[in-house]
Amino acid sequence: MRKRNRIGVLALGVSLATAVVGLSSGAIASAATGGARQPAAVGSVRLTGATKGVTLNVMIATSGAAETAAVKKETSAWAAATGNTVNVETPANQTESLDEGFAGGSPPDIFYLSANQIETFAKQGDLLPYASSIDKPSAFYSTLVKADTYNHTWYCVPKDFSNLALEINTTMWKAAGLTNADIPTTWAKLVYAAQKLTSGKVVGLDVGNTIDRLGAFMAENGGSYMNKAGTGFAFNSPQNVAALNWFVKYDKAGIFKLNSQQGAGWAGQAFGEGEAAMATEGNWIIGGMASYPKIKWMAVPMPAGPTGIKGTLTFTDCWGIAAQTKYSKAAANLVNYLSSPAVETYNAKAFGPLPPRPAVAAAYAKANPIMSAFVAGTPYAMPQVETVGWSTVQGAFDGQVTNMANGSVSPSTLLNQLQTNAQALLAP
Amino acid sequence: MGTTLNGSAAVASPASRGRRRSKRSPLTRGQNLFGWIFVSPALAVLVIFLVLPIILALYISFTDWSGITSPFSHLVHWVGFQNYRTILTEPGLGQSNFGTAVRNNFYYVITVVPIQTALSLWLAILVNNKFLKGKGLFRTAFYFPSVTSSIAITTVFIFLFSTTGVVNRILGFFGINGPNWLYDQNGVITTILAALGVHNAPSWSNFQVLGVSLWGWLSGPSFGMCVIIILAIWTTSGTFMLFFLAALQNVSEEVEEASEIDGASPWQRFRHVTLPMLRPVVILVATLGFIGTWQVFDQSYLTGPNNPTMVTPAFLAYQVSFSDFAFGEGAAIAFILFAFIVLLTLLQRKFVREDLTK
Repeated sequence: MRKRNRIGVLALGVSLATAVVGLSSGAIASAATGGARQPAAVGSVRLTGATKGVTLNVMIATSGAAETAAVKKETSAWAAATGNTVNVETPANQTESLDEGFAGGSPPDIFYLSANQIETFAKQGDLLPYASSIDKPSAFYSTLVKADTYNHTWYCVPKDFSNLALEINTTMWKAAGLTNADIPTTWAKLVYAAQKLTSGKVVGLDVGNTIDRLGAFMAENGGSYMNKAGTGFAFNSPQNVAALNWFVKYDKAGIFKLNSQQGAGWAGQAFGEGEAAMATEGNWIIGGMASYPKIKWMAVPMPAGPTGIKGTLTFTDCWGIAAQTKYSKAAANLVNYLSSPAVETYNAKAFGPLPPRPAVAAAYAKANPIMSAFVAGTPYAMPQVETVGWSTVQGAFDGQVTNMANGSVSPSTLLNQLQTNAQALLAP
Repeated sequence: MGTTLNGSAAVASPASRGRRRSKRSPLTRGQNLFGWIFVSPALAVLVIFLVLPIILALYISFTDWSGITSPFSHLVHWVGFQNYRTILTEPGLGQSNFGTAVRNNFYYVITVVPIQTALSLWLAILVNNKFLKGKGLFRTAFYFPSVTSSIAITTVFIFLFSTTGVVNRILGFFGINGPNWLYDQNGVITTILAALGVHNAPSWSNFQVLGVSLWGWLSGPSFGMCVIIILAIWTTSGTFMLFFLAALQNVSEEVEEASEIDGASPWQRFRHVTLPMLRPVVILVATLGFIGTWQVFDQSYLTGPNNPTMVTPAFLAYQVSFSDFAFGEGAAIAFILFAFIVLLTLLQRKFVREDLTK
């Protein structure tokens, strides 16, 4: 599950709601006609059903009014151009509603799906592996396609993604006498800057109390979640233990803190309220910061580890199509349109997700410099664990992270526990 | 009216049913039939929305249902007692999560039930006072938390108890450095022991029960759990105050006056006259309290994801089901909780009944 913050996402929706008004509906309509070409059936999947006069249900986990409005506008443009009807459902808790749909035998035709749930749904035969049938499948980031693949089958087309970057409060940065030359490109520089920035109640760096943030430091230290062969987990590797030991050392020194230690709901809150000078959140923080207009900030790519390894974490959603759909051909056509470069660019402007194609993302980052720090990490970003049952295992680790920072449990003990619990998921 | 009364009497007592059957007239047979027809809508609602889901949930607790197919699909396998073993006997995350949740809830129950019972009785006696002015206002004020959404109240409490919240500001005014309430996982008892100089768990306490060490079991409620305990006592005492108030109004004034004339002090009057007359209500409130407190969900739903010491079995069942798609295990937790509540309630009733015969 993507660790977006509810409050942040709400703010994102509200702040960007006005942006939608600016769209010329002509561009969308013409893209809709273009995208409606019939993709041929590829591989083992045969797309069937009528492509005219059908009703498709699309279920989205919306981040707010802006996203809902954008998706409704796009789907109705497609519906008008192709002579179909599209209903967009926006349940409060999409995972629950999706469960109910599948359990009751009437799932939505198309739905948002977090990459880390693909294995769960694919194992139950709920996902139509339509992805390779869309236009220009090679135009997507290969890392995202890999994240949307399970058991050598590419199931669903990437919808968008988010990477972690380092956010810096520029007012505090200048006040501490730091310059552009001090921008943390390495761990040493990060520690130096955090020391300079820590004063009184302000902590140098606030990090979310979850492996979905701390994992970036493991990657930068040369560690990873999985072993090299990808056959098992490697949480308790020396690199991972050292990365967390490094974090705890500076947490004890008072220049790094977890959001839980600062009593904040997420690192973006501590950053926005001026209690932290730096944070390591993803591009969703742009929406979150709309609640704190007084804070001046910038984003830079995550620093490299002691041996120069770059690392960050990536979170991605895709367009799932239910295997049970009666109109798989029409559904694939709609996804083809929704994932076209024109719509991706429009979505990025309307509510801030990163477009999943390198060409589109690069053009978008060029027009919006703040995005370039988030896009930069894509080639080396580490994806989330996708194994069934991971959520509870991660929960047990995340629940202990604050204790680790407080010193009541050591990183190696915690990572050994994580390794044992995660390995147990792989046992038959 | 007469029809239903006759019908239900016939159903209720086997003796009368036997007598009726022997000389069953066409008329009474019609009455029986109509009785069933009249109760059938209510019966259908009960069966469809209560009995069938319970049976289905029991079935699911013996399967590996993922929640994203039909529960009767070929992908769902019968796994016997595997889900129950995962939770109760096999060392692992399933067992220790359940053990932690039971530990958390145990401290919640043993603090909330006695305090809320005593507090609601006290409030009821206060607002039942003949000489109290503005009774309506006080009764409404005390009852108000009970009719407010628990999610809303919990959200307000989260703000109150945040590190920079009102509670810590007030404590700070008195020079006390308040804890990080909602995230603090340290038990109250271990914290007190640490203040007394006991820092390390003695070796005997490493023995594990349900995946949690004895030291863990004895650590007491965490500071986070204390917040939920305070919240629960505050919200539910209003409801139970109403129970006591209704009972107090049935205590006749003559008895009270008679005891006063006999020279009983106010305390003696309360202890030996009022309280014995309220006894059935005290038992009712304690029983309802016991059952309700083992089912805390809302508060845990809002705070649990951040702090494992605030997770309760009811929330754990939800979490296991909806975030890990392990509905079988979730249903098993629910049934263990159910068995647990029934067992404890029976024990409590047995204990209370024995007391009654003294």
